Amino acid sequence: MVTYREDGSSEVQLGQTRVMGIVTAQLVQPYRDRPKEGMLSIFTEFSPMADPSFEPGRPGELAVELGRIIDRGLRESRAVDTESLCILAGKFVWAVRIDIHILDNGGNLVDAANIAALAALLTFRRPECSLGGEDGQEVIVHPPEIREPLPLMVHHLPIAITFGFFSNESILLIDPTHNEEAVMNGRMTTTVNANGDICAIQKGGGEGVPQRVIMQCLQLATSKAASITKQIKDAVEAFNTERALRKIKRHPTSTGVDVREKQNQYTCNIPVSLEHFKSKTEVVITRTRKHYPLNMAA
Amino acid sequence: MEVDREDGRSQNQLRPLACSRNILHRAHGSASWSQGDTKVLAAVYGPKAGTKKNENPEKACIEVIWKPKTGQIGKLEKEYEMILKRTLQSICILTVNPNTTTSVIIQVVNDDGALLPSAINAACMALVDAGIPMRHLAVSICCCVPRSGLVILDPTKLEEQNMKAFAYLVFPNSVHSVLPEGSLSVQGEPIENGVITSVTHGVMSVDDYFFCLERGRAASTKLSDFLRRNLQHQSTDSSKAG
Repeated sequence: MVTYREDGSSEVQLGQTRVMGIVTAQLVQPYRDRPKEGMLSIFTEFSPMADPSFEPGRPGELAVELGRIIDRGLRESRAVDTESLCILAGKFVWAVRIDIHILDNGGNLVDAANIAALAALLTFRRPECSLGGEDGQEVIVHPPEIREPLPLMVHHLPIAITFGFFSNESILLIDPTHNEEAVMNGRMTTTVNANGDICAIQKGGGEGVPQRVIMQCLQLATSKAASITKQIKDAVEAFNTERALRKIKRHPTSTGVDVREKQNQYTCNIPVSLEHFKSKTEVVITRTRKHYPLNMAA
Repeated sequence: MEVDREDGRSQNQLRPLACSRNILHRAHGSASWSQGDTKVLAAVYGPKAGTKKNENPEKACIEVIWKPKTGQIGKLEKEYEMILKRTLQSICILTVNPNTTTSVIIQVVNDDGALLPSAINAACMALVDAGIPMRHLAVSICCCVPRSGLVILDPTKLEEQNMKAFAYLVFPNSVHSVLPEGSLSVQGEPIENGVITSVTHGVMSVDDYFFCLERGRAASTKLSDFLRRNLQHQSTDSSKAG
């Protein structure tokens, strides 16, 4: 289930796993060897909220691996167009920062975090800016009230699908829960997009699997990616229409709680909950528990 | 004198409150609290064995971790952690589970003014959800003093930035109908008149401060009612044992 709160923030619920993604952007100076490209950086926070074994402070190796998988999927496959983030070559570019907060660890954090990052990127709007000043070298950033902010150019959506391997029973699992993750022998994450392109594959250690199984995984991943891409796009659509409607009617329609001065008279307007302000898009990404027989005996 | 606020509220009106408990699966207790657009998520794990290095092993220890929405953890977050820790230490019964640590993790989901009070309220609800023994609950409110005009309650971020001074106040929640002799009193005064925590920013006169306290106290009664209704409503829904 993908929920949106405001531009550039998304919350994904995948079974028991809950991940929040926040996108912000800042104007910075570009790297010297890439003066015409913007920057994309991903920060993953394994909050101690998600799991009692997560420690606060420096990200552990799991957090770093997760960040790298998502980063590879987005940056190297050129999903986000960094050249469109350039305002003034060599001087000012947009640095987009994605913060991923893991709120609840129910397993398969990589997939959920990937979806959260994509969803947040799709709804993020950066302020419009124009060149001005005397010699056209100054950048003027227009506040959102004056000029409508612009979306990012996202070419395609790389979706990460994680598989778990159990060699004893020769089973292949898609989307493992954290109990399954604790006992599985190996894992593999494939990042594919709806067009059938493989953006990244990550298999770090664990049990060795035959090539035939890898191909089977890739085929499964491609079919799953198509359906997940559709769900993300539907949720973004719903959010965009909700946002457009919100811009039209601006008066507050919910009443607050009234507190009066006199000690003995309390008028109480029952506070109305925030339901109708936020768009709750009911996109459920069901945890599929498909077991595929693995023929380990070559 | 009516003060014109941007969203049409009067100076004594709070924003719509929403609270839900038990939203996370791994955490022992969790709660989400929103006041208008400010939304905070709190999770509680505990009690865990052992205390931190400098803590008293004869009492339970409370550890607070504050996670901002974006950016690095800096001094402001550390300050919030300390204020929250001291506030929660005064409402929890620390002698029940000595030599244990209870962790409270706060995640800021959205900040639109009155962030610390929302966090304190969320933490309190999360502690209730986790079943940590407490003396009474705490309700928190933000009162601010504008440059001209009367004290305003529960400001939004824009309003907070234009204020001369503001104060975050935490009051104890009153105990109703559980004790046969009525509500608790300390030295003849009802317990709600006490202030657990008060954090002020900016310059305000002493009269203004007392006015804030009075307004805050009145508002805290409203908040207590909301908390009570919320807790009763949810406890009748869920019938899971333990």
